[in-house]
Amino acid sequence: MDGGLAILAVDDEPRALADVKRLLETSASVDRVATATSAKEALVFLSGGRYDALFLDVAMPEIEGMALARLLRRFSDPPAVVFLTGHPDAAVEAFEVQALDFLIKPVTRERLESALNRVERHTHGEGTPPPRANAGAEPRPGAATAGPEVVAVDNPKGGGKRLVRLDTVAFAQANGDYARIVCDDGRYLLRMPLTQLEREWAGAGFVRVHRAYLVNLGHAVELRAQLNGTAVLVMRTGTEIPVARRHVASLRRRLHA
Amino acid sequence: MVPTPPLSVHFVNNALATAAGLVDEDSDAARDVLAQLGAFLTYRLRGARTVSVADEIDHVGVYLALEQARFPGRVEAELPAPATVPAGTTTPGAVQAPVSEAVARSLQRGRGPVRVAVRVAAAGDAVEARLAAPGARAERVRIALAAPAPEAA
Repeated sequence: MDGGLAILAVDDEPRALADVKRLLETSASVDRVATATSAKEALVFLSGGRYDALFLDVAMPEIEGMALARLLRRFSDPPAVVFLTGHPDAAVEAFEVQALDFLIKPVTRERLESALNRVERHTHGEGTPPPRANAGAEPRPGAATAGPEVVAVDNPKGGGKRLVRLDTVAFAQANGDYARIVCDDGRYLLRMPLTQLEREWAGAGFVRVHRAYLVNLGHAVELRAQLNGTAVLVMRTGTEIPVARRHVASLRRRLHA
Repeated sequence: MVPTPPLSVHFVNNALATAAGLVDEDSDAARDVLAQLGAFLTYRLRGARTVSVADEIDHVGVYLALEQARFPGRVEAELPAPATVPAGTTTPGAVQAPVSEAVARSLQRGRGPVRVAVRVAAAGDAVEARLAAPGARAERVRIALAAPAPEAA
């Protein structure tokens, strides 16, 4: 690789493909972009050159994206796979084929850059783990500060599990043996005590501010001191989270407030 | 009454991606896709209600226009002549959703064009969608409507 990434984008919808091509070509991380409108065409490209990653649609005629991803795993040195799809329900299967990331169309530049950053780290052998579901069953021994980037929560609609990106979670609230997860698209229950979440999510910017609240500081917009020595953390949605007196000083230090 | 079918998130996301892809190339076309998607969502998200079969056929037309934008040159559409549409009522999406499933199946089978012809059945109690693609077996989907309104005495 000569500095930038070589990316192959694969989608049977020409305009969606044009969109991701334009975003990739204007990214500072990317050196070369090729496009294919089918899995077969993608295989032709792969046989003729080296690509760091495939940005791959799921639903395509003849060979679907997921089948292509499975096929690539048989390569001796396969490119990373990032799914870019309109199918949010395909996330679980994407993780099963060890995709590096899973993006929903149309993707924001910020989210695309985050995926490219992940590809860069993977390409440079920094051992970036793929995003993975954290079912919350067992604590990982010696859990590292990096933590999971995706968490599987109970899906209130139709049962099963829903995958939630940690950067969309505003805060977690203790709820008996469960934690109530409040994120951009709703509220979910996770069968895990807050103390365990605090340990596992520390690397993702979550801070314990109260015995009942673990907060994603990336979602906080204001810290308001209270007369009794406590404080209130205002989230970007306007939700106010109480900060216990014993957490105020450390939170101020962390925020340089 | 025919139950209201769920909205396809996949379809909505891909229509949005189509608009995003057109922004630089043809901003007027991008705007048209967004306007059509707006009309599509407005019709489907206004809550449970009955609609005229004619409105539902119009909705199928909006849906097919969005598919034509997603897959340029791949979707040919024919809708029933207004005079043949019965005066009954149905549920929003009752015709569009099964037509959409059939179109998705046809598009997935190959990379060639798909011809979609939507017609009202002779008895006026159903709509038939016929899908034909070169090299693939034609598919016919029959979609029952709610009972047509009684004829005026």
